[in-house]
Amino acid sequence: MATKQVRYEALVKALHADLYRYGYWLCHDKHIAEDLVQETFLRAWRALDSLKDEKAAKSWLITILRRENARRFERKRFEMSEYEEATITDVKATSSEQEIENHWLREKIAQMPEEYREPLVLQVIGGFTGEEIASMLSLNKNTVMTRLFRARNQLKEAVDNEPKLRGLHNG
Amino acid sequence: MDDLQFRRSIIADPKNRDDAINAAIKDDPTKQKFAYELDALENKISQAMNIPVPDDLANKLILRQTLASHQQHKRKTRARLAMAASVAFVMGLTVNFVMFSSTYKNLGDYAIAHVNHEASYFSNNDQPNVTLASLNDKMAAFKGSFDSTFGTLIFADYCRFDGSKSLHLVFQGQSSPVNIFILPDDEDIKFIASFANDKLQGKSLNFNHSNIIVVGDKNEPIQQWQERVKKNITWSI
Repeated sequence: MATKQVRYEALVKALHADLYRYGYWLCHDKHIAEDLVQETFLRAWRALDSLKDEKAAKSWLITILRRENARRFERKRFEMSEYEEATITDVKATSSEQEIENHWLREKIAQMPEEYREPLVLQVIGGFTGEEIASMLSLNKNTVMTRLFRARNQLKEAVDNEPKLRGLHNG
Repeated sequence: MDDLQFRRSIIADPKNRDDAINAAIKDDPTKQKFAYELDALENKISQAMNIPVPDDLANKLILRQTLASHQQHKRKTRARLAMAASVAFVMGLTVNFVMFSSTYKNLGDYAIAHVNHEASYFSNNDQPNVTLASLNDKMAAFKGSFDSTFGTLIFADYCRFDGSKSLHLVFQGQSSPVNIFILPDDEDIKFIASFANDKLQGKSLNFNHSNIIVVGDKNEPIQQWQERVKKNITWSI
């Protein structure tokens, strides 16, 4: 009992941030992301004994969270993820240049098609390799690599074009 | 490695640079610049993706789990208590059954066991020391009396054997004592008219409220003893 608790707490502390971020990029909503993470960890607790390999914990949790997210759509079928309303992060409170830049890029990431964004999030936040992402998303590796390429390429183009745009805005 | 392939692989996975890519970068300043730019982009992306996590999220998660498993634990404890109670109950029933139910299936088993149990206390040469009056005093408990003594009565007293109160009479027999039991009709013990084992034999008679059992060794004319009892006994109401 005690050791299970200890394992669970270690798991929460080590992985809740990544999981929350991943959840956020799936649904673009802080509150839903938080709910998803809570639900995920609750399920994880119940099945904790089946987790033999601690190294696999992250992808295991992410798989649970994806399933939870899918379930959310089964439950209520309203149009989610019109991103404009969902990603209203408060820009005013963030003051530094860096924050503004982050916010701008976040919008770009949110605008990306889901199929490009998800592998990218798994790669950047999760630190997974192409093969791991392929097995988590049930895709083949080449598809994943292509999507990663396109995702990053889109962002690169956006960033390359950015300074002028921002200059205009700021000016 | 051509330029297209280089770009494809470094853009798809900028952190994972294999030897081929490293070699390509080393030889080509343009590629170096490209890789450098890409690193900068990667930093930006990863900063942008690292959205702030609510400070108390970890604690919330732990709290919620603790509450949930506490509930579960309470439910389990209750179930365990119920289970323990059931087990105790069944054990109680079993003990009751074993302790207070008859060990013997029928009168014959009972009588033979009784005789064997007390065989060492009696010998065929014991002197008669029971009067008819004292015998009838004891018989009163079974609402019966004997009109006269028959045979040589060595011993007469109540015996409690396997939970049943009975009157145990011992007479002198031809080679070994003859035992007569008068015991109340007990529905737990099945009536059996005659019975025997390798040494002893016996017969039972059923009266209104009582059974009378005669047990003796194989030489003994049990039928005759039974006739004598029948002839001499009178039952009151």
